[in-house]
Amino acid sequence: MIRTVSVLAILLVLGALAAAVVPHLGMPRELAGVGREYARDGMEVTGSANLVTAVIVAYRGLDTLGEVVVLFCASTSVVLILTLFPLGVRPSPPSRIVEHTARVLPAPILLFAFYFIAHSHLSPGGGFPGGTVMASAFLLVMLGSTSVPGRSGSLPAIEALAGISFGLLGFWGVLTAGQFLNNRVLGTGTPGQLVSAGLIPLISIAIGAKVASEFSGVFAAFRKTGGME
Amino acid sequence: MSPTLMGIMAISLGSMMLSAAVVVLFVRDLLSAIIITGFVSLSASALFLLMDATDVAVTEASIGAVLATLIFLWGRGKIGGGE
Repeated sequence: MIRTVSVLAILLVLGALAAAVVPHLGMPRELAGVGREYARDGMEVTGSANLVTAVIVAYRGLDTLGEVVVLFCASTSVVLILTLFPLGVRPSPPSRIVEHTARVLPAPILLFAFYFIAHSHLSPGGGFPGGTVMASAFLLVMLGSTSVPGRSGSLPAIEALAGISFGLLGFWGVLTAGQFLNNRVLGTGTPGQLVSAGLIPLISIAIGAKVASEFSGVFAAFRKTGGME
Repeated sequence: MSPTLMGIMAISLGSMMLSAAVVVLFVRDLLSAIIITGFVSLSASALFLLMDATDVAVTEASIGAVLATLIFLWGRGKIGGGE
């Protein structure tokens, strides 16, 4: 009873706050400030047909680098906690539906993830969503079997390689153009071509590999320590 | 301003999402709560798709609806069922 009342009270307070804020937000009719600059010159400056990726990877590349570092810390601590307190439960065999789905679906999911990462500068996409989709394909493979992943060095190796290459691509700009993560060190090409937009596709691939290997490492740790039902 | 198809879809998706989010708070069974949380994420993903934010929609679908739901499910397994 007390729980229900307190929940309702919190909901009411939050609703009142939202009702007070929303009328002042409004949708601006046109872009202002730095957004207008990005929309006007973005395609020409970065060579990326997809402006969202241009902002995420090129204009705000440093933020993305920080985001990747945060994700690295989070996944490392999850794996650490899981290995410190193992349950030692053997995975139970999957049902027939899961078993057979896990044989068919991962291939198209992986294909979609590769497309999503490689075409992030042309159509909606990006390293982060592509990496998570890729990790969900690996998760499906894992759920479809009873095998326990052994001690593998390849996942941390891919993760480290991707992180280091992101940093090195940034420093390439420092060496040649005097600016960290300068996008024009490679030449931007024609917007709309697969090989265009300077560093953006390379950085997207690095982010995708890093995110996919981190999430897969977390799943492998769950399976190894008996966390999966 | 007559309601467009997009507007109707957005309003119905939003109200489904809101009601599911409220239902989660009052459900006794932990498993149902987790599944309904996943449904909230899925409707959020559909809303992002309506707003032409395809990449955000894919992120929300894979992270919110799949990975987060699964991690909640594993956590539920670790604490042994719950309420």
